[in-house]
Amino acid sequence: MGSLIAADLVIAVLAAAGWLGGGAAAAARRRPLALALAGFALLATVGRAVTVTALARAGWWFAAEKVLIAGPLALAAVAVAVPRLLRAGDIRSVAVPLLFAGYAGSGALLVTVLHGYPASAGAGLLTVAGVLAATAVSWRVLGARPSGTVSRTAVAVAVGALVTGTGLAVAPAAAPAVTHDHRYEAAPEVGEPTRRFTLTAGTATVRVSGRDVEAWAFNGQVPGPELTATVGDVLEVTLRNRDIGRGVTLHWHGYDVPNSQDGVPDVTQDAVLPGQEFVYRFRADQVGTYWYHTHSVSDVGVRKGLYGVLVVRPAPATGVDVTVPVHTLAGLPLPAPRTEPVGAGTPVRLRLINTDSTTHRYALAGTPFRVAAIDGSDLRGPTPLADTAVLIPAGGRYDLVFTAPATPVALFVDGRAVYSTGPVSAETGAWPVLDPLTYGVAAPVPWSRFDKEFPLVLDRGLDLHGLLPRYAHTVNGAADPDIPTQVVRRGDVVRFTIVNRSLVVHPWHLHGHHVLVLSRNGKPATGSPLWLDSFDVRPGDVWEVAFRADNPGTWANHCHNLPHADAGMMLHLTYS
Amino acid sequence: MRKALVVVTTVSLFAYVLQFVFAAVGAFTKPADDGAFALHSITGMAVIPALTLLTVLFAVLAKAPGRLVGLALLPLGLVVLQALIAMLANSLTDASGGSTPFGLTVAGLHALNGIIAVHVVVAVHQGARKLAQPAPVAATRVAVREGEPA
Repeated sequence: MGSLIAADLVIAVLAAAGWLGGGAAAAARRRPLALALAGFALLATVGRAVTVTALARAGWWFAAEKVLIAGPLALAAVAVAVPRLLRAGDIRSVAVPLLFAGYAGSGALLVTVLHGYPASAGAGLLTVAGVLAATAVSWRVLGARPSGTVSRTAVAVAVGALVTGTGLAVAPAAAPAVTHDHRYEAAPEVGEPTRRFTLTAGTATVRVSGRDVEAWAFNGQVPGPELTATVGDVLEVTLRNRDIGRGVTLHWHGYDVPNSQDGVPDVTQDAVLPGQEFVYRFRADQVGTYWYHTHSVSDVGVRKGLYGVLVVRPAPATGVDVTVPVHTLAGLPLPAPRTEPVGAGTPVRLRLINTDSTTHRYALAGTPFRVAAIDGSDLRGPTPLADTAVLIPAGGRYDLVFTAPATPVALFVDGRAVYSTGPVSAETGAWPVLDPLTYGVAAPVPWSRFDKEFPLVLDRGLDLHGLLPRYAHTVNGAADPDIPTQVVRRGDVVRFTIVNRSLVVHPWHLHGHHVLVLSRNGKPATGSPLWLDSFDVRPGDVWEVAFRADNPGTWANHCHNLPHADAGMMLHLTYS
Repeated sequence: MRKALVVVTTVSLFAYVLQFVFAAVGAFTKPADDGAFALHSITGMAVIPALTLLTVLFAVLAKAPGRLVGLALLPLGLVVLQALIAMLANSLTDASGGSTPFGLTVAGLHALNGIIAVHVVVAVHQGARKLAQPAPVAATRVAVREGEPA
């Protein structure tokens, strides 16, 4: 599907370039070249009908503006250009019709690239105005003056389209339903802390692969200290900021803490500025592998090292229990490779964490293994896997378990050995990748009806609402802070339909809740129930996920490719 | 106005030279991250399109022949194409975000398209200089005839 979106774009470019090239060739009286290019453009236009039809079948989200705006423009282009081509005496007389077709194709292409979803009358009218204006200018420059009536009509239509289109485009959108005030949720009483930690954020120089790297670190180390607890503990974590001028917070990624402890600046608390501190307290009632990171200027902050591991065990660890938080610090991969011998028969749990903004590929060689848990939730009936890789989305966690064999075992991340029990040489690049939606034993979905439905259509688009125009990552055609807040009531069963119209992966992350995966691309999940907090919505993907609204507050709901979140792909969900 | 056209095409050429420099800056910045190509992106998506529009405007005001106006307009299309090629090349990765042979082939088109754009701007610059020279009588007549409707 992703390649279909790309192919459609390429064909649209070829069609527009063919018409424009044909027009230029005609203006230069290069008859054979003009005819060849126009023929090519016509072919590409027909080809585009095929790709757009295929996109529409995959979902109307993918094709709306291509059918409603590009379609009529392409028809107009063909209707104007082809008849004139067929009865052209002087090839130069078809230059303007061919250029018109080219402008129509280019305009439609710009709609898709700059503001494709939702298909809007404003974008359509502005395109018509632009196409007519460009045609009128070409007409004058090429010197073939149109008759008075034609030019007056064209000018009137162009001006009308321009005015109406601009009016529609700049009209204030529906105001976000919730404005953030600075009254944050109060912290609930959780009892006397049983585990206390202090994390001090500050700039630091850390050594990675033999190089000194300027980082932002908790307690001077990257990753920060590993926080561990046993279920039932009450954690108290004091966050101090020594010298991070842009502020820090702690977000417990995947841990469904009360809203006041979620660590999102300006939503659940103020950012902790240099010299300040904030105390987080919550009960460790969720078992599994999690991580924490700053949510203040999170793109820069996490990349520079403000992250660490949070593991909550059901009981003190038995066997070998290893956390592997993978990160890229200043272009260098973390953690450093580690080798430790493990006696045959020892149970081993590898807690794989992806703290980067893009997907990583993990491959465990030398032993069969099971995926015991994803995003902290145990899977139902996981079967043994061998010579199979797993793809972990940004922010995601997989727990792999196996019994140590007598021979060495090694974990490779993107082909690099990160953890091993001895020397292993394995070529893991060609291994198949596990699809978690078909892994393990299914259980019925606990809900039969949904109280609230929200579509989330992910795309790129021009965002004009800030100080400077930017090419934002958008949700439903808007970028943060203009994306309307999703409002739910406590107890609602909420369904998200997440559609990726763009050409890049968007790892989706809802705070405060785990979502149950219902289906991907129309195919229901048939494996173990998957309760995720981070999942990759690939280009062309349509994911249906659901959750029960059981954790009141205002929650961030965003793409965990943090530069994308920074560039607009961030919204909020709140309880009424 | 013809002088202004020469000036703006000279500035454009200079911007293109810088653009190649910025591409090298991005390619050799260590560690490589998205910020490495910030200068290249800004020049390519804001400075060069603005200069192209200025060139077209001055070409029209200088009553340049249609061929020169068309040639001046061409980089605008090439710049849009250039951004699209970059976007496609960046998206044609394997599942864990690594580059693929096909993606790199598409990325190669980004360089080729850049070379084509430079040639077009050089041609526009030469056309502008020719236009600014006090032309002999015969040449002027030819130029006028070219500008006439077909």
